[in-house]
This record gives sequence, structure tokens and C-alpha cells, in this order.
Amino acid sequence: MVGSPVLFVAIPLLAAFIIPLTGMMWKNSVRVIPGLVLAFMFFLSISLMGYVNEHGTIVEVLAGWKPPIGINLVFSPFTGFLTTLMTFLGFIVWLYSYKFKRNVDFEPSMKYFMLLMLLVTGSVGIVLTGDIFNMFVFIEIVSISGYGLTSFYTRRDSAEAAFKFLFMGAIASTFLLIAIMIIYSQLGTLNIADIAEKMPMMDHKLKVLSLVFFILAIGVEAEIFPLNGWAPDVYTEAPGPIGAAFAGIVVKAAIYASVRLVYTMYDFSGAFDLFIIIGLITFIMAETTALRQDRLKRMLAYSSIGQMGLVMIAFGIGTKEGVYAALFLMFNHAIIKSLLFFSGSYLVFNKKNKYIKHVNGMGKYLPITSVLFTIGAFAIIGLPPFAGFWSKLAILTAAADNKMVVLIAVILIISILEAVYYLRVVNRIYFYDKKEKTEPKKPSLNALVAMISLGVIVLVIGFYPDLISGILDRAAADLLDKGNYIKDVLTLNK
Amino acid sequence: MEKYLNILNIAIYGSAVLLMLIGLYGALTKKSLIKIVLGLSILDSGVHLLMIAIGYLKDGTAPIFSPGNEDKMNIMVDPIPQALVLTAIVIGFGVTAVALSLVIRLYRHHNTLRIDEIKKLKW
Amino acid sequence: MDIIILILIVFFAGAVLTAFSEKISTLVQDILFLGTLIVPAILFFTGVEMNTDTIISFNKVPLNLGMTPLSYYFALIVMGLAVLTGVYTVGQMKGKKRKGYFYLNYILSIGAMFGILMSKDLVSFFIFWEIMTWASYLIVIYNGKNVQKIGIKYFVMSAIGAYAMLMAIVLTHSLTGSFLISDLISGFGSWDHGMQILIPVLLLVGFGVKAAIMPLHIWAPDAYSNSPMSYTAIFSGALSKMGVYGMVIVFLALLTKVPEGALIRDIVAWMAAITAAISTLYAIKQDDAKRLLAFSSIGQLGYIVIGVAIGTPMAMLAGLFLAFMHGVFKSTLFMVVGAVEKQTGTTDFTEITGLIRKMPWTFLAALISIIALAGIPPLGGFVGKWMLYESLIQSDHFMLVTLVFFSSTAAFLYCYKILFGFFLGQEEKEWSHVKEAPALMVVPMIILSIISVVLGTFPQLIMKPINAAMTFYGMPDTYGVLWKESMLFNKWGSDIALTPIMYGIMAIFIVVAIFLFFRNRSRTRYVTTKDISTSGEIPKEHENLTFTRGFFQPFLRAVEPVMRKQIDKYMLSFAQGIEDLFEFTRRIYNGNGQSYAIYAMIFLIILLVLGKNLFG
Repeated sequence: MVGSPVLFVAIPLLAAFIIPLTGMMWKNSVRVIPGLVLAFMFFLSISLMGYVNEHGTIVEVLAGWKPPIGINLVFSPFTGFLTTLMTFLGFIVWLYSYKFKRNVDFEPSMKYFMLLMLLVTGSVGIVLTGDIFNMFVFIEIVSISGYGLTSFYTRRDSAEAAFKFLFMGAIASTFLLIAIMIIYSQLGTLNIADIAEKMPMMDHKLKVLSLVFFILAIGVEAEIFPLNGWAPDVYTEAPGPIGAAFAGIVVKAAIYASVRLVYTMYDFSGAFDLFIIIGLITFIMAETTALRQDRLKRMLAYSSIGQMGLVMIAFGIGTKEGVYAALFLMFNHAIIKSLLFFSGSYLVFNKKNKYIKHVNGMGKYLPITSVLFTIGAFAIIGLPPFAGFWSKLAILTAAADNKMVVLIAVILIISILEAVYYLRVVNRIYFYDKKEKTEPKKPSLNALVAMISLGVIVLVIGFYPDLISGILDRAAADLLDKGNYIKDVLTLNK
Repeated sequence: MEKYLNILNIAIYGSAVLLMLIGLYGALTKKSLIKIVLGLSILDSGVHLLMIAIGYLKDGTAPIFSPGNEDKMNIMVDPIPQALVLTAIVIGFGVTAVALSLVIRLYRHHNTLRIDEIKKLKW
Repeated sequence: MDIIILILIVFFAGAVLTAFSEKISTLVQDILFLGTLIVPAILFFTGVEMNTDTIISFNKVPLNLGMTPLSYYFALIVMGLAVLTGVYTVGQMKGKKRKGYFYLNYILSIGAMFGILMSKDLVSFFIFWEIMTWASYLIVIYNGKNVQKIGIKYFVMSAIGAYAMLMAIVLTHSLTGSFLISDLISGFGSWDHGMQILIPVLLLVGFGVKAAIMPLHIWAPDAYSNSPMSYTAIFSGALSKMGVYGMVIVFLALLTKVPEGALIRDIVAWMAAITAAISTLYAIKQDDAKRLLAFSSIGQLGYIVIGVAIGTPMAMLAGLFLAFMHGVFKSTLFMVVGAVEKQTGTTDFTEITGLIRKMPWTFLAALISIIALAGIPPLGGFVGKWMLYESLIQSDHFMLVTLVFFSSTAAFLYCYKILFGFFLGQEEKEWSHVKEAPALMVVPMIILSIISVVLGTFPQLIMKPINAAMTFYGMPDTYGVLWKESMLFNKWGSDIALTPIMYGIMAIFIVVAIFLFFRNRSRTRYVTTKDISTSGEIPKEHENLTFTRGFFQPFLRAVEPVMRKQIDKYMLSFAQGIEDLFEFTRRIYNGNGQSYAIYAMIFLIILLVLGKNLFG
């Protein structure tokens, strides 16, 4: 084994403390070290994935206490896939924001990169941990660094967005705690595998109550419909790359948490239907709201929420094809939405309020960025030969195999709306005349590299989906095999 | 004695739930940002109390294995909720601090503390 | 390497190379562009064999490529038109902006059409279908004019069609466990009844959009007239045939197996007939050549679909024959309009007159195509229309044949308008500088005109592949037995029986025409529009006295009530209404953080209440 999963948490936390010290000696270190840490995490997760493929799930025990008492980290094909995706995106976000425009100041850039690192760490922690209270702690780490990053610009509206986020986040964390305590008082354990094993013993009413509280709490982070009022505000007001980080990393972690609840911990089959209902309502509400947005990032935000609704639907289908589709959607969404946020930020760079009309005629001034945005838009609509098509085909096939004809129809109808608002932007980029005199800002080299690498992934996966389908298959099989998870953790198959 | 214990139980759980309800009421109905933050804080405290109450044991001792104390295992209070509540208190404190700093910034920008007047980001 | 994959690679790599070679030089770009179109065509005609399977093995959805006789026939249209129109395009696009962009999408859409035809499974079919859609979408908005309206309308209608198709595809997969078209066809008979209706209908919606069948046609007039004419030739000539191609499969292979098939056939045929009639009326009304031809295209596609939908061997033959002919003559006409636009800068009938002496070759091409379009013997259009009428009468669709006859006759009116509007009539001083279009543009037009003429006399040239295609899907062999069914053919079943008579009549006409021409030649005086002296009034300088102004006013007044109801207005207001609804529903995000918290509590309560039902 190359390293241990515990490094995913230990190294970034250590680095977060060291950065202020090294910053005193070498100012650039506050930017370089987080990048190195994120790159390290990415390579670690890749090498661990290789190990897991050969030897099976890694269960790492912290501080010598064996489960179910101690905290353990589980690096399985499923969590490993998400970890790899998140750390990769974390690294790309870092790369994109390396020459951050506020970087003239030492303080803000230090805070920015530290918080970004913590955001990624927290999300990875949520995915890896096998203990629900530990998960709560990681969720709080993510939330608090999220509040900080949202209010990063000292503009008037960013504080508002951050406060809304905090308001919802605080309520969510309260209910999460209550749910955890209900479980603990009934089953006397906090270990997910142990809970899953003992769940049939639990009182039915309390079981429902705790699940409802869990869904409420995690739903806030997962941006499901009535709980996502904060999300568009945060995406709009946070710095551009952070929008990508939220869409690509944080939400994925939250979706993971809810999936873990429904697939592993609880044994309600009705929860799958709930997933479909919630996902469908989220999808419809978000996509219809996105239709008439006048701000680019807000539109992307609603689109992102809608996509997560689609992921929920796919998880709610519950078959292996459904999980496969959901994971594929998550992967595509992470890559494509980041690409859109990245390139979109440059298209409306330095414009007040970042209206969609600011992209007018940018195709001439920022050709590469515009092409990348267009590729992203086409991909997220699900046009072949881009990556988005395969995931759309996967979810529709999964739904069709379960005879959900109405669901397919609704998804497709709403997809048309999605196509409409994305194409309206693309049309503006290429076929409208630029009104303002100000010269648009050219992307710096590091940002360009980040965007192009995402664009290349979109194209490569689009032309050759097999590159990833094997990994997704294993991950889906791993998630569905509940007994194996319990066995792995409780008997410490190391 | 049993009755007394019951009443105590009800009192503790009841006050925890009551605190939570008060906090929730404050957070959901009061228009002042400060009061909302206070409400969230009270809500948190209620949950913490609830957590402590779950681990409570009548006449229990501190969960420390010391010489001469090995046989008192079954009358020790459950240590895990206490550990958890400590963590939760710290996190709650952090969140409250962030919230208050945001409130200060909101007040500077908007010159008001009414949450229904701070809604530039919508739809 | 397999030749089909090689062709696709040439297409897609060539497209990208062509786009980027803009930086090097225009000549290189043009050569690359033509090369990318010609090389696959050569490879196709020399190398591709029937019924060989090429599998691109993805482990989830393997893609199967291969050629069937039907796709060979349609590929003939696509590849031939692609090369000829490609040559024309080089001429037409000379000196235009964004050539790289145009060429890229042009080649991509041709490649995608080829891919559609070579697809043996529904996923690759859909992939290429969507590539074709977005590539053509990007060309529709190429002019940058009204992109939000025209472009989005095109895309939305295409998406409706494509997604209906996608739904049919995934449902097929759930029923047969495979995406293969052959599995769809073989398994179709044993499905439950609802699916047997639903899947063909969904597929027909998908294909109907591209074939512009009412009420799915609303994108077509704008999209056809808004893209550059060199692409519209492809659009109308080849791209719309993809819809026909799909319909042929549905009608031949699927709907023959269900009892309701006959009803669906009749409904589609009637919709197509109404499409043909109404769009013909609209075409007559247009003063802009592009829009006129766009509506005319929709009408002609209507005939083709009628033939395909009725589906008797004769009707199918007629539909497929007309599909080829339509590709030939309608592309020529669009090219003619493009040439006129290139030389004069406008396509308005009321402005241009008397180009016959300026652009004689273009006029010749237009004349021949118009004759073919109108279905006058001895050109190819006549053969197709005759067979269509005959098959409709044979299968007792008398109302239908009346309607088709009406629209076909009315089509003469707009044919006349094209010919007179541009080429005949008095000459304007304004257009005295106009010259014949460059050779690159004229040659393809002339070649296509020659094809029109040849096919009128030797229809068996394409009857043979059509027959192969039809027998492949289980239709009786018609080749060589047509004389039993149709009075049009001689007893060998392939040549037109009337040929000697037709050519005899034509020869007489031509001799008379030449005689008159030479007799009157010395007395000919060329006049301009202002050179008139009616009632002693002298026309003012800016008065528009062009021949074609106010053409057919009485006729249009007569049919005006039919045309007042425009389906796309309803659709637009429907779309508007939906957007307004969403404008209303999104107000739930009211910006107040506290409301969001209250939503959360409501959500909690709902879950708790529903908890019993959900979690039993």
C-alpha cells in the first residue's frame, strides 16, 4: 500500500496550521503549499484506487480503537471513486485560482487557499469516514469553510449569501445532531456499519424520525428542493472557482451522505421512492427557475441544482444501472459544471452583477474560453459526442428498465428547457455584438490549463466512455453490496 | 424514588425540547438578525442538553478508570455523549462567531438588522 | 481498418483540420474542405460493402455500424449532394467571414448523416442524429440574424423530436435488452400492445420533425431561409431525408406488424397531405425566394412522406423516388437562389428582374429544376408524381389524391414565380452590372440539372437500389414488374413507356421555339420596368413596377382564410405562457433567509406526516 487514507485528513489539517508560519518566510508558500497538498491527495487517492482494485476495500482504524468503538475510514471502490473525483477537482480549482486576482494581498489569498483546502478535506472526510458523528464534524468543517469562502469578497451581497447559507446550515447541523443522538440512544453505536447491522432492532417510530431529520440536515447541503434557497445566492456571490468547488465537491459529498443513509444504514424501501420524488421536484423547480435568470452564475447555480436532482432520481431508481447512471452523472456534472463555472467567470470577468448580457460577443475576444464554455454547455445538455450524453443515456436506460415511462418523459421535457437557456447564452457569446468598450480579461495560463484539461476530459469521455465505465461499475456494485460493507468494517478486512 | 427519577427525566428532556422550541421559534419568527443568531444558539444549547441527558445515569460517576474504581463500570455515565457534546459546543461556538461577524458586515452594508429587508439576491 | 470507420474518421478529422486551416490560407482551407468531402465519397463508392458489421465495442453500449440496401440508397443522395454542394460552397463562401466555422459544421453534419445511415443500432443512430442536429443548428444561426428566435425554435423542435426518439430507444432497450435495430424489428411483433403503438409513434415524432411534417414543421421555413443557401441545399436535399429514412424503416418494418398500423399510416399521410397543401399556399404568398423555396421544400417533403406512409409497394417506390428527385432539383433551386443572392445581394422577387441574359446558365439550371419540380414530363419529377398518384388511386385514397393534386397544381404558381421573378420580365438598370456566377457555382447546378433530365428517361438507374432497399425490408420485388402495376412503364418494367412520344412532342416544341426566336430576333427590343406608357402616366423614379409585385393577389385573397391560422403562433404563445408560469413559480425563492428556514420546517413536517406512507 502506498499510503493510508488517514493522510487525506491529516496532511491538509497539518498544512493548514503550517501555512501561516511558512507564509511569514516565503509569501508564495500560502499558494503553493495548498496546491501541493491537493495534488498529493489526488495522487494518493489514485494509487489507493489501484490498491483497492486488487486487494479490496481498505478500512483504516484511527488511534487503535477498533470499530465499532473507534473511528474508521473506509476506502472502498465507491468512496474511492468519489475521493478521487473530489481531490482531482480540488486540485483543478486550485490550479485555476492560482493567480487569483486578489492575490496582490497576502492575507486574503492565504485565507482563500486555506479554506479551499479545508473544504476539500471536509468533503473527502465526509466520504471516507465510517462514523456518523465524525461525518457531522466534517460536514461542519465544510460548512464553516463554505461560509468563509462565500463571504470572501467584501461586497455587499456576499455577506447576505453567506448569512443565508449559515442560517440553513445551522438549522441543518442541529437536526443532524438530534438524529445522531436518536440513533446513539437507541443502538448505542455511531459506527455506520454497526448501525446498519443493528438497524432492524430500532424502534420504528424513532427510526422514521431520525431518517427524516437526517434527510433534512443533509438535504440542505445536497441542495434538494425546498432547502436550497441559499445555494444560488452562494454560487452567485462566491468567487467563480468556489462555485465550481461547491458544485463539484461539496454537493457530491452531501449526496454521498444521503446515499449512504438510504443504501446502507436504513432498510426502508420507501426511501428510494422519496429520492425519486425529491429529485424530480428539485430537478423541475431548478431547471424552470434557471430559464429566466439574468445572471450567468445564478443560471449555472440553478442548473447545477437541477443536475443534482437528476442524480437523486438516478439513485432513487436503486438498481445497479441506476447507481451506475447516478455515479456517471456525478462525474460528468463535476467536470462539466466546473468547466462552465471556470469559463463563465472569465466571460463575465470584472463586470458588475455579472449579467448574462455581458457575455455578448465574447467569442471574438476570448476564443478559447468561449469554445470551452460552448463545449461545456453542449455537454451538459447531453448532446453527443460529449460526455454528458452517456450519463443521460444511462439514467434513461435505467429508468426504462424499471418501466418509469412518465419519469423519462418528464426528464426529457425538462431537458429541453435546459437546452434552451444554455443555447441562449451560447448564441449571445457568438452572435451578439459587444456593447462595452472595456477590454475583456484574458485568462491566465494556469486558468487556461485547468479549463482545457477539463474540456479534454469532456471530449475524451464523450468519445470513449469505457475509460470510466469500469470504475463506475465497480463503485456501483460496491455501494449496493451492503453486507460486504458491514463485513469489511466490522471484521477489519485489511 | 422511581417517580422522582421519572419526573427528573421528564424535566431534563422537557427542558431540552423546550429550549429547542424556543430557539426555533426565535430563529423562524424574529426579524432581527441578532435575535435569529440568538435563537440558533439557544437551539444548539437545547440539543446539547439533550445529548447530555441521554448519557445521564442516576448517581453515576465520572467515566474514569482509576485505582479502586474498576468495579464501578456499570454506574459510570456514558462518556461518548459527553465527548460529543464538547465537540458540538465548540462547533456551535464557531458557527455563532461566524454568524455574528456576518451580522456586523450586513449591518455595515445595509444599515439595518431586519432580515426581511436584506434580500437583494432572489429568484 | 474498417472502411466505414475510416470514412467517419476522415470526416471528423477533416472537419477539425479544415476549421483550423483558416489561419494558413483560404486556398488550403478550400482544398481541405473539398478533399474531406470527396475522399469519403470515393471511399464509399468503391469500398463499402453491404451487410458487413463493424462493432465499436464499448462495454455498456456497443456501437454497430454497417450498410443496408436502404441506407445505401440514402447514402447515394447524401454523398452525391455533399460533393456537388461542396464545390458550390467553395464558390459561394469566397470572401465570407467565419468560413472555418461554416466548413466545420458543414462537414460535421455530412459526416453525421453518413453515420446515421450506417448505424445498425439505435444509440449510434441517435448519436449521429444529435451531431447532425447541433451542427446544422450552428449553421442555421451562422448569419447571426435573429438567432435567439430562429435558432432556438429550430433547436427546440429538433430536441422534441430527438428526445421522443430517445425515449423510444430506451424503451426498446428495456423490452429487448439490446439497442440493435434488427432486434427492434424482430422483437417488435411480440411486445405488448401499448408499446407497439407508443414506440412507432415516438419514432415518427422524431423523424417527423426533420421531415417537417405539420405540426412539427414550424422551424423549417425560418431555418431553411436563414442558413446560407449552399447549406440549405443540403438541409432540404439531404438532411430532411434522414427523417424520411427513419420513417421508411418505421413504416416498412414496424407498422406492418400491428393492426393499428393502417390507422397510423392514414393519419401520417393525411398530415403530410395537409402539410403539402398549406405550405404550397404559403410558398405562393412569399416574395422572398428563400422562403418560397423553404415552403416549397416542406410541401415536397409532404409528397414523399405520403408515399412512404401509404406504404404499398408502388407508393413506397414513388416516395423513395421522389426523395431522390427532390434532393436533386430542390438543391439545384437553392443553389440558383444562392447564386442570384451572391451576384445581386438580394433574393427578393420584387427587386430583381430580367437576369436571363446576365446569368444564362443559372437560368437553365433553374428552368430544368422547375420543370422537374412541377412534375412536367419528361423529367424525373414527373415519374415520381405519376407513381404517387397512381399508387394513391390504386389504394383507394381518393380524398388524399385530390388534395395532393390540388397542391401539386398550385405548385405551378410558385414555380412560375421563381422563373419569372428572377430571370424573365423587363430588365432593370440597377442589375445591369450583374454577371454570371463563378464556374464553381454553375458547374454543380448544371450537373444536377443533367441528373434531373437523365432520371426522367432512365428511372431504373435509381429504381434498382430502391427495389433492393424495399426487398431488404420484406417488400415484394417491384423491379421489372412495374408494367403490371403502372401504365407509365413499358413491359420491361423500367423504362418510361411514353418516352418516344414525350421526346417527339418536346422536339416539336423546341423546333417551334427556335424558329420563333430567330424570326423575332431582329425585332426584339429590351425594355426596363420604367419603360412603359400606360394611360400616359410616367412612373416615378422609386415606384416599384417589377413584374412580380403583387403576384397572384386574387388567388391569395381566395385562400386567405385558410392561411390566417398559423400554427407556429399558437406554439409560440404556448411557449411564452410556459415561460411566464415559470417566472411565477420561481418567486418561491423570495430572497428572505428566514422564509427558506420556514420552508425547511414545512418540509420536515411534510416528511413526518408522510413518513407513515413512505416508510410503512
